[in-house]
Amino acid sequence: MAAVLFAITLLVFGIFFLTPGVDPARQLAGRNPNPQTLVLIRHQFGLDRPLPVRYLLLMKKLFITRDLTSYSNQGAKVMPEIVSATPVTLSLVFGAAVIWVVVSIAMGLAAAVLKGTVFDPLLMIIALIGISMPVFWLGEMMNLITQNRLHSTLLFSWVPPLGYTPLTSDPWMWFKQLVIPWLTLSVLYIGFYARVLRANILETENEDYVRTAHAKGISDRRVLLRHQLRTSMVTFVSLFGLDFAALVGGGALLTEVVFGLPGVGLLTYQSLHSLDLPVIMATVVYGAFFIVFANTLVDIAYAWLDPRVRPT
Amino acid sequence: MSQIVAEQLHQDQAEEHVAGRSPWALAGRRLLRDRLALAALVLFLLIVLVSFAAPLYADHIAHTDPFVNNLNGTTVINGKRVPILQQGGGVLKLGETPIGPTWHGNYLLGADNQGRDVMSRVLYGGRSSLLVGIGSAVIACLVATIVGLLAGFFGGITDGILSRTMDLIWAFPVFLLAISVGTVLLTAPNGLALGPIHIQAQSLWLPTLIIGGVYVPYVARPIRGAVLSIREKEFIEAATALGASNWRLMFREILPNVISTVIVLLPLMIATTILTESALSYLSIGVQPPNASWGTVIDDGQQLLYTRPIVAIAPGVMIVLTVLALNVLGDGVRDALDPRAKLRIGK
Amino acid sequence: MRTRSLLTTTALIIAMTATACGGGSSANSSGGSTSSAGGRGGTLTLLANSNWGPADPAKNYTLQEWQLLIITYDGLVQFRSAGGSAGTQLLPDLATAIPQPTNGGKTYTFTLRPGIKYSDGTPLKASDFVTVMTRQFTVPGPANGFYSGILGASACLKNAATCDLSKGVVTDDAAGTVTFNLTAPDPEFLYKLSLPFALAVPGNTSLKDLGNNPPPGTGPYMWKSYDPQHEAILVRNPFFKVWNAATQPDGMVDEIDYKFGLTVEAEVTQVENGQADWVFDPPPSDRLNELSTQYASQVHVNPLTAEFYFALNVNIPPFNNLKARQAINFAADRNAYVKIYGGPSLAVPTCQVLPPNFPGYKPYCPYTTNPGDGAWHGPDLAKAKQLVAESGTKGAKVSVVGTTDEVGKAIAEQMVNDLNAIGYNASAKLLAGGIQYGYIQNSDNNVQVGYSQWYQDYPAASDFLNVLFGCPGFHPHSDASPNISGFCDKTIQAEMNAALTQGETDPTGANQAWAKIDQQVADLAPMVQLFNPKLIDFVSKRVKGYAWSPQWYMLLSHLSVK
Repeated sequence: MAAVLFAITLLVFGIFFLTPGVDPARQLAGRNPNPQTLVLIRHQFGLDRPLPVRYLLLMKKLFITRDLTSYSNQGAKVMPEIVSATPVTLSLVFGAAVIWVVVSIAMGLAAAVLKGTVFDPLLMIIALIGISMPVFWLGEMMNLITQNRLHSTLLFSWVPPLGYTPLTSDPWMWFKQLVIPWLTLSVLYIGFYARVLRANILETENEDYVRTAHAKGISDRRVLLRHQLRTSMVTFVSLFGLDFAALVGGGALLTEVVFGLPGVGLLTYQSLHSLDLPVIMATVVYGAFFIVFANTLVDIAYAWLDPRVRPT
Repeated sequence: MSQIVAEQLHQDQAEEHVAGRSPWALAGRRLLRDRLALAALVLFLLIVLVSFAAPLYADHIAHTDPFVNNLNGTTVINGKRVPILQQGGGVLKLGETPIGPTWHGNYLLGADNQGRDVMSRVLYGGRSSLLVGIGSAVIACLVATIVGLLAGFFGGITDGILSRTMDLIWAFPVFLLAISVGTVLLTAPNGLALGPIHIQAQSLWLPTLIIGGVYVPYVARPIRGAVLSIREKEFIEAATALGASNWRLMFREILPNVISTVIVLLPLMIATTILTESALSYLSIGVQPPNASWGTVIDDGQQLLYTRPIVAIAPGVMIVLTVLALNVLGDGVRDALDPRAKLRIGK
Repeated sequence: MRTRSLLTTTALIIAMTATACGGGSSANSSGGSTSSAGGRGGTLTLLANSNWGPADPAKNYTLQEWQLLIITYDGLVQFRSAGGSAGTQLLPDLATAIPQPTNGGKTYTFTLRPGIKYSDGTPLKASDFVTVMTRQFTVPGPANGFYSGILGASACLKNAATCDLSKGVVTDDAAGTVTFNLTAPDPEFLYKLSLPFALAVPGNTSLKDLGNNPPPGTGPYMWKSYDPQHEAILVRNPFFKVWNAATQPDGMVDEIDYKFGLTVEAEVTQVENGQADWVFDPPPSDRLNELSTQYASQVHVNPLTAEFYFALNVNIPPFNNLKARQAINFAADRNAYVKIYGGPSLAVPTCQVLPPNFPGYKPYCPYTTNPGDGAWHGPDLAKAKQLVAESGTKGAKVSVVGTTDEVGKAIAEQMVNDLNAIGYNASAKLLAGGIQYGYIQNSDNNVQVGYSQWYQDYPAASDFLNVLFGCPGFHPHSDASPNISGFCDKTIQAEMNAALTQGETDPTGANQAWAKIDQQVADLAPMVQLFNPKLIDFVSKRVKGYAWSPQWYMLLSHLSVK
């Protein structure tokens, strides 16, 4: 895990310095500097030192002294930026996760129970449509409807302007501003998890323990909820771990951009656009940490649950 | 974004692989009997056809060049000459609003901020989106098959190195890759030369290669898993006993058995790569102007979302239709190749 | 003598802006007028999508923060805090009077007003200005070239650690005098002292970059906090007493909250709903119609002394050829660029470097159909094609380096269209704004056509002509080369130097010289001038006292919410 993180920092650093025509000193200096000022700044920030030294300096500032400062936003410390962006992303992803878990379990169960009726394929087509929608486009359509076209109607007049209010300063506003982003972000996952859950439940139908339970005379509903759903949740939970981590790690970037939520994704996006290496480095390491960590966790969980996939 | 591929991945992991030498003809017949999948295939082919007919539409119906600004132009609607961009109203007369949908040949869906015909741009955009989507999915599947074969067959150090590289790509944000490579190419005077391939920053190859590369791990993992389980089968042992070389084993014995996995994944991968391309272009780091893709048209439409929402709606609907068709088709292909799966994913 | 001549300069500016303002402004442009004043108190809420970067007054070079810095800090001299053309007048602020330079224009001696205190209670001292000027080089400031004429400063530019300005800035705390010694006469030195870089901070302020913690100042407001991720808060400075209401009047509101992070769409909505009072960012194009029809009384439109242009690289093909440069100037459809920016009520086409209402401005446009009246009427494609044919550059590959923002992208694509229309083989390269500006300046990148903008620092013709098209602004192989075209014409440079010298004694004559230089530069076409933009200020219904200064734009201390 540490090796992958190390390789990622090297890669980010490498990509940045393969980018000619972008002089960090120029970014640091501001609007209209003297050529002499550029020389001075290059020296001040150690940009005139050999690349390995610069890499180590950056790592030291990122992990040890934690006083890394941004290039394009001169003087701004990177760590506080990430620390203040994290609650936004967590609020977004956590709320969306609650919605998608509840709705997808309901949908998956309903489809499994209603197998053979017209509702099963209907639910699955709805799920597939959810999976097929680009999240940024869905977000824009939501904005179009709730902020503009139907904003004056009773249905959406409560929707506040785009943005983020911290939970601590105004919980009700926090909730109102996040409802639409939550729904938007969760649509894809509702579709996906409903399909997975339905497939898993139906798969267990022919398993011995389910047949035994039925034979024992336990009610269908009880078998479904107590036995089939429970077994099927193993996959569900491990997939959930991966997705949740990926979203917290910056995967919610598009949703944050569309709804103007100042989370880690938006921070990454802005720093990428100004090629602001320190911020890019910090956000990428932050995101990679979550993803690698979750991957490792899920791999371990999988190997523990299912000996067949243990690496040979 | 690659949820559906992950879904497939999960199923391949959970399922004991018994592809065997399944008769392809049988699978084909099963697919043809699947009406929903067939309808999806027809829809997809229709979208491809219409998109590749974009120049015909632009030249003969819209009579416009969708890549040239037309800010001062006028057009004739119902015999009346109207400006394509209209100055704002009120006392202040701020802003310029492009013409809305005319539902005529010219400016059927109206114009964008630069006075360009939206319908033509959506059609041309489809061409780029499909080229990049299909191209990158094919690249991802090809590279992943090779990587999966090597890693699964040889195991040990080869597997270790390849798997760790895949982990690295998996954890690396695709947006960073796209922006930085894009900026490198833009700032380098002559683009990038990779042997015979010469890539300019505006080239469609750039997003194609980047997206293709990013999705290699998603396909390589299930293939590696399939190779791992096939390697233990009797017929491989038999072939080994007969003195077959490693390469022969890999390409003559194992490859035909994992190819069905790749074929099942391909439509789903195209769906995924089209979505990724649209996201990158929406963030203006995918297809570069003057080229358009569905994502870039949505990006243009964002500026006009409240006044001319059709500019953002039209390309979005095209994406949803295309991706939905591919996902339904993917389900159908899987059912056809592996009828037992039909029980699992409902129809 | 010199004091009088300086007064003539400002008088001239006033005269020019006054005449121009009368014609140009639309119904709601407040130009000179100040809307009716309200009462004291309350909190003014300002919105911006993003912050202004560093908060240190020596480091910040954005109008966004300058609007706050001029009400939290004071200079020895400052522009009159007033709407309209009066706002271009330079007055004594911390100093008792504008001094008459001695020693052949190389020495300026100021006397400080007594009894002024910083917001932490420290009294203002003459020696504080040694710190202010030294900080330009140690922080370092982004435009310390403004102050490199001070005796000893050129050594500071080379090595900040040993920076010693004791000969250049001589102070006497007891007498309250500050004396600047320059290496050469600089008729614009007083303007430079009015910029926020040179505003007074306590003498014990660190010589290093203060990051997000601005030091105490003397203005009516002081910094309570600046969190670049969320908001900046300004509150009343308890030690502030009005000493010269013309330059630093007391503020109307008790507190100014400047919030960051909303999308521009949401900002506009909040002001419409009265949840906030002002939007820093230009309103999105799809909201303009709504603003001009439903909220017209809250919208103020004012012309900026700024320009949008394409720099043509005069040192590499095809635009090392004069006819090729003139051809694209004839071909550029300036109406199209104006429409991209938001239409004729938000931008005015131009062919020349100096903007309207500016010292030295005389309308001039040779690159149009029906030339003669100095205005642009339409592209002349026939003439352009003929010039391309004569130049022998037809079919040349041209790469236009633009920016990725909405307006920048469309403008670059329009330039590609204009170039292709006259037979070039053009394509666009779009880079993020922060990167593009440095990239197009470096001659090593061989940029043929670079999209750029320029906003005045202070009202002097040299701030446009000498910076953008003078030899001193061209630094080959450097990202810090504001003369993007690489245009260095010996004859014109000699005339510019002469005009600068003449400006010390005869500003009126100098401005006539600048007008001639403006025309000569336009004739040699090292750029394609597109338009002079206007600025929209959208304020909430409750805001009263709106005043717009050409130098600092909307004056925050005049606004009231009660």
